[in-house]
Amino acid sequence: MPVYERGYRHWEHSGKSATPPWWAIARRGIMGPLKRRGLLFLLVVAWVPAIVKGGILFFTYKMGELSKLVGGEWTDVSAAGFRSFLEWQMPWVLIILAIIGSGLITKDRQENGLALYFARPLGLRDYVLGKGLVTLFYYFAVTLFPVLALCIFGYLSTQGATGLEMLVVIPLKTLVYCILAGTSFSLVILALSSLGTRTVFVALWWVLLFATDGLADIMAMFRPELRVLDFAGQHVNMGALFLGGRPMDGVSPWISLVMVALFIVIACGILVRRIRPVEVVS
Amino acid sequence: MARPQSEVKRPDRAIRVQDLTYAYGAVPVLKNVSFVLEARSIGLLGPNGSGKTTLLRALLGHLEVAPGSVSVLGHDMAREARLARRGLGWMPERGGILPDMSGVAMVAYLGELGGMPATDALQRSHEVLNYVGLADERYRLADTYSQGMRQRLKLAQALVHDPDWLFLDEPTAGLDPRGRLALLDLVNNLARDCGFGVILSTHLLADVKTVCDEILVLRDGRLLDHARVDADAEKQTAVFVLEGFGDLDAFAAALTARTLVPVFEERTILVATDAVMGPRFILEAASESGFALRRLQRRTETLEDLFFKLVDESGDEAAGALSALTGGEGGER
Repeated sequence: MPVYERGYRHWEHSGKSATPPWWAIARRGIMGPLKRRGLLFLLVVAWVPAIVKGGILFFTYKMGELSKLVGGEWTDVSAAGFRSFLEWQMPWVLIILAIIGSGLITKDRQENGLALYFARPLGLRDYVLGKGLVTLFYYFAVTLFPVLALCIFGYLSTQGATGLEMLVVIPLKTLVYCILAGTSFSLVILALSSLGTRTVFVALWWVLLFATDGLADIMAMFRPELRVLDFAGQHVNMGALFLGGRPMDGVSPWISLVMVALFIVIACGILVRRIRPVEVVS
Repeated sequence: MARPQSEVKRPDRAIRVQDLTYAYGAVPVLKNVSFVLEARSIGLLGPNGSGKTTLLRALLGHLEVAPGSVSVLGHDMAREARLARRGLGWMPERGGILPDMSGVAMVAYLGELGGMPATDALQRSHEVLNYVGLADERYRLADTYSQGMRQRLKLAQALVHDPDWLFLDEPTAGLDPRGRLALLDLVNNLARDCGFGVILSTHLLADVKTVCDEILVLRDGRLLDHARVDADAEKQTAVFVLEGFGDLDAFAAALTARTLVPVFEERTILVATDAVMGPRFILEAASESGFALRRLQRRTETLEDLFFKLVDESGDEAAGALSALTGGEGGER
């Protein structure tokens, strides 16, 4: 059809307010993957530990003293008990963030997409904030959200016996911890994602980072403080400051907090260097 | 109905560049480039590596230009690039596709990033995809598009937020002749009928002649010429090559009497004059002076000739030569 028949119409503003660019990026990044059935299945499976813990909480309450037979961390409704739960969820953090985070910047770089973003009225902060919120959301989906659900369920199933603790204190402590740990995980996977144009390599590097726990375990046989090399372990150990519980052998939670802060700083440095509107595509 | 341009566009739509200098490391890419562009269709010409894309990136505010200044739509790009970008549409030469998104989703998403409400962006996405001729393919994944469709999609994403200026970097690269003409047809329509300012960066002179009112010629980072492309001027003015024997002085005097200025070369005489009436004046002068003409041939010097002359010769000698042909302002450096 010739151009003159199609005609160009100028944009007539509807008067509605525009969303900030970081929110548009985050919303698209969150909603897009939810259309994939495989990911939805993984998210459901990632909630199985929370469902199991909820079931045990319910039945141990019904069993009364018999709950001591089950005992251990599964029936622990204290903040430290939820820290253990968050530690169990670490494999899901590894898997879900590898799937979601590895392509977030990589795919934009594959086809010179960054040039399209930065030809718009947005800056590096908007871009990183938007992308970071995507990974943070999926991190929360397997950590914070199950804990919050368990707190509500625990409160309801134990008839408010520990209401203040279950509805206010533990959720707040968990929220602060998850924001800090989630920010670190998010920025690190984004930094890895900004380094290349192949998502598979980004995912591989991410898995290798989590595999440092095995290396740290071996080295800790000689010097326990070398557990500080355990990337994921630092995030768990830092949780002792917020949620209580036993810290890692040989490494103070404060040291872990410093390490996590260091991860954030390094990741930010990489992102600033790597995310440029000027991209050379071979 | 489309609204009148005066209601839609900003008051200050000019692009002002003053002493722009930029280097990648120690390699200078742009050297003291200065010009002022009003919102019309501009061809940015130059051989590969002449600094065209770098200049466009400077206009988008992607580069920190320490010496010099760039002002777009009344905004200083060193401080207010984000504000200015609301009025700019950019079509990159390479890539420019977001994977895993349909055409309509990609354009809507980029419209939203361009400052549009989500519902407006989606509606506009459908409209501009229809305009560029991708209505039937809009729900297909963008990374499965053919080259021609990709170029149209990139034009659509540049248009979606209805900018004042379109920066098109080699828009016809990789297109077959039919696709190239169709895309130029769109750009022409946008520039001439819809009030867009267009900067068309290309090394294809035919594209510039089809679309542009003015040209900027870059070579080695220097602006060689800034002139108007006046198609009529190319038709009305011509250079005639004359050969013959007789009294050269008398023939020259007869030509001068008819306000024609002969330029003598080795065995030929060159006369620049009106393409239609010129031969008649020359024949009259020859008859009057008794000069026997044995050759009277029109030499059509094209935009291509002068472009190559500009980029091949040193800038100082070549500057303004293009203006002589195009009848433009010329020599704004």
